[in-house]
Amino acid sequence: MTSIRKNKFFMAILYILVFFMLAEWLTPVIVLTETGHQALFLIFIAGGLLMAFLRVPWWFSGPIKVLYILWFVIYVYTGNVFFTGEAIQFLQSNISMNFSALISQNWEQTTDVFRTMLFFVLLWMAIYLIHYWVSFRSSIFLFYVLTVVFIAVLDTFSPYSGETAIVRIMIIGLLLAGLLYLVRWMESHQISEHADKVALFAVPLILGIAVSTAFALYLPKSEPIWPDPVPFITSFSGQGGPGSGGNVGRIGYGVDDSRLGGSFIGDDTPVFRAEVSTGQYWKVESKDTYTTKGWELIENVGESVVYRNNETVDTEFVSGEEVETTVVSMEQEFPFVLYPYGTESFSMEESPDYQYSSADQRFETYQNGEELEPEEYEVSFGEPSYSLKTLRETSGEALEELPIEFDRYVQLPDELPERVRDLAIEITANSETVYDQALAIESYFNTSGFTYSQTDIPVPKEDEDYVDQFLFDTKRGYCDNFSTSMVVLLRSLDIPARWVKGFNEGELIDSQGETDVYEITNNNAHSWVEAYMPGVGWMLFEPTIGFTGSSSIDFDLELDPTDPEQPDPQERPETQKPANAEDEEVVISSQSAFWNRLTEFIASNRWKLIWAIVAMGVVVAILFKIRHRWMPKFLISYYRMRGQEPVQFEKAYLRLLKQLELYGIQRKSGQTLKSYATYIDSFFGTREMSELTAAYERMIYGGDAESIDWHELKESWENLINRTSG
Amino acid sequence: MNAKERLEKVIDNIEKVIIGKRDIAELSIVAMLSHGHVLLEDVPGVGKTMLVRALAKSVGADFKRIQFTPDLLPSDVIGVSIYNPKDMEFHFRPGPIMGNIILADEINRTSPKTQSSLLEAMEEASVTIDGVTMQIPKPFFVMATQNPIEYEGTYPLPEAQLDRFLLKIKMGYPSSKEEMEVLSRAQVAAPIEDLTSVISLEELLELQAQVRTIKVDETIRSYIVDLSRQTRQDAYVYLGVSPRGSIALMKASQAYALLKGRDYVTPDDVQYLAKFVFGHRIMLRSEARYDGITVEEITERILAKTHVPVKRLVGK
Repeated sequence: MTSIRKNKFFMAILYILVFFMLAEWLTPVIVLTETGHQALFLIFIAGGLLMAFLRVPWWFSGPIKVLYILWFVIYVYTGNVFFTGEAIQFLQSNISMNFSALISQNWEQTTDVFRTMLFFVLLWMAIYLIHYWVSFRSSIFLFYVLTVVFIAVLDTFSPYSGETAIVRIMIIGLLLAGLLYLVRWMESHQISEHADKVALFAVPLILGIAVSTAFALYLPKSEPIWPDPVPFITSFSGQGGPGSGGNVGRIGYGVDDSRLGGSFIGDDTPVFRAEVSTGQYWKVESKDTYTTKGWELIENVGESVVYRNNETVDTEFVSGEEVETTVVSMEQEFPFVLYPYGTESFSMEESPDYQYSSADQRFETYQNGEELEPEEYEVSFGEPSYSLKTLRETSGEALEELPIEFDRYVQLPDELPERVRDLAIEITANSETVYDQALAIESYFNTSGFTYSQTDIPVPKEDEDYVDQFLFDTKRGYCDNFSTSMVVLLRSLDIPARWVKGFNEGELIDSQGETDVYEITNNNAHSWVEAYMPGVGWMLFEPTIGFTGSSSIDFDLELDPTDPEQPDPQERPETQKPANAEDEEVVISSQSAFWNRLTEFIASNRWKLIWAIVAMGVVVAILFKIRHRWMPKFLISYYRMRGQEPVQFEKAYLRLLKQLELYGIQRKSGQTLKSYATYIDSFFGTREMSELTAAYERMIYGGDAESIDWHELKESWENLINRTSG
Repeated sequence: MNAKERLEKVIDNIEKVIIGKRDIAELSIVAMLSHGHVLLEDVPGVGKTMLVRALAKSVGADFKRIQFTPDLLPSDVIGVSIYNPKDMEFHFRPGPIMGNIILADEINRTSPKTQSSLLEAMEEASVTIDGVTMQIPKPFFVMATQNPIEYEGTYPLPEAQLDRFLLKIKMGYPSSKEEMEVLSRAQVAAPIEDLTSVISLEELLELQAQVRTIKVDETIRSYIVDLSRQTRQDAYVYLGVSPRGSIALMKASQAYALLKGRDYVTPDDVQYLAKFVFGHRIMLRSEARYDGITVEEITERILAKTHVPVKRLVGK
């Protein structure tokens, strides 16, 4: 009987797994400390493990490792590949210097060379420790758990991303732990090492890990329950800020949009309150230049116009017929004037100058030449309405005749990937008018597997395009992603469009007759799209999933009673959607459509599915628990269908043994079948078990399978197995 | 008449004389059939001599008895060459060892030199005197007895020598009913005188040959090896069962299977005989003595915990 530990091949697999596990430890350390030469460190680990595996005596492996460390130091710090005189001198001076630094407790004076050596010693210890765990204790669980914790902590609190590392570690760790358990189990049961026995355990283990890994990778991951602690902590300590451009920011209105992307955490600090009849989108400004990473504003364009209190302003939006006056009261300092669509005039107690710049449609207030932060003001506005008939006459040809001022609204960076343009053409293939094209793009996001999320949103890297990444890779994002993408898609069709920032309706907190009071917080900071419809003017579009900005614009078709084809305004968006959905199916291949439908089904029936699985699990568990009751019936009919070969008798007898154990009569490990059979027979008052056992023993120990008459024995077997169901 | 019936006749014959000791008779026959020898350990007067004599008579074998004493010499056991002045030559006069069934009484009373002469003869089944090797006639079966009570002036057998015995058996006292039966039989006459042989020596040799044909499945072999290995790993054991012990267990099990009329060995055979095969082959540490653990208990424990193979070994 040889222990499996003696099997070189098996142990080699264990050591290779250990190597990968150690490499997972090393990688983040190297990445985070910005140490180079990862490969050389890995060679050290591999060499150490190899020597441990080959059981190289310490007096041989020790000097080799020391030599390697010295060589590494020389190579890295002096550039010498060999131990030249100069290199040895370098080593000597370094060692004596560090030694004296240590003696005098001047820790600061120790050099990098010395620290590198210490790091190697640490690695050496780690190798020895793991070698000991694997070869002598046959247990790796503690190390496995520590590795997972280590990577999880690094992933959370440091720039190191352990997303794939954790998957690798899970696989390696499960394999290692499983195989080592096999070692312990085989040794404790004194099972000798045979390839087929090992395979009997190892193959299901590997299959199990593979299936669960694939399943786990495929399954949708739920969002983190708690916010990412790092931005939470930094924002709590006041380090975060809007538009900081980092990986994660705090939501709110920011001025700098040159680098979009990254995750956000909520912030419900109120910004202002507004008394209006219905919720409005509050515009602040727009931007015109897309840079592949974010938005900027071209300087020195447009002109500034100064208005006074109650003077009619021109915001490029014609106000609707029903004019109302709303009161806006700021709750925190905000340097710009917020205005709803269709604004006619402002009124403020201070009666300042309202300076409007047509470059970004922004209002600033000045008093006596100094900036004034508005506190409370009234706005008269009427929601703009659009004639559907006119919109239906918007044609692409009219776009070509637009004046030069519109050029900046069709600007696109040269680096914009071609597939974005292709997508725009694809989406609008069935759209005849400019308005239809805009609607198609607006609703595209609703129907093509995009999700709204404020967390886990990447910032595009140097060679990536913000829109391209969102449209084709992540399909996850918040308002900036959706609105920027729509603007870019519109512009790639030469439809003038601009990116608008402001706040959405906010939360209805009070209702006073006709007037509702809305509170708008930092969470309501929003961005959307304005597109120019030739012959109509600028229009608001809301591509972001879950926001209803578009519908707040009243498609007042009453204005145009001559239009015979006047549909119900409410139906407008819906009639458009199915046409788009059909487009989708043409575009998306049937397979991914199937997966889409499957994931949708799972998502919509999640609880039902979970309960069904739980119920099934309970039923299976109960059936399993009482299996000795129903198994006999099944077994009897099963073996009746089987042949009369002795091998069937062998299987049936072993099945009977299992069944008897389920019934509660355990055979002790050292009990022979004959003595067990005697006990069974005395228990049931039968003779059959001894009869069957004698035949079985003759077959197994006597090697005499021919004398077995299974047909004749079957009656005894059935009689016994029936008794076990009681 | 098959092997089982013939052997049962022998046992029945012995039982006429030795009452209530059927298992001892069986074990003696098992040892004889597998070319082994038996060490009987018990107090005097429980019928050790009677058992051997009855066995010898039943198989029609030549019975010799050697009473071991401190002054017994090796030549008293194996024989001596004596110079005959008439023809001026040495003549070999065979010792009592040159018989079929030998009772070596109180073997631990004699000097190690004489002990080893007997044990060597047992092992080789031959004796060498003055450079001449002589085969001991077959069948050759030694039953040695030793008294476990008296230690004064004894020479305990070394462990290496004990290994030469296939089985170590303790007779034990008869039950009161059996002892009354013993008395009633002894009242009339010594029943041993009336015993006749029930099988011939040739038949016995034939049965010995038949033992070797008994099948020992791989599962059984692995079971035997497992048991032996367990004795070597036990914390209380100083010296475990040697591979020779494993062979002994296998051979004895074969003979026992033949006795039970089977042509294959079962784990039950192995378990039954392990107690007699291992008893004198395991040496305990002194810790065991302090804890009051005996070799019998160790053997029982190993038998209880060693997994009995109940399935065919596959993938070999």
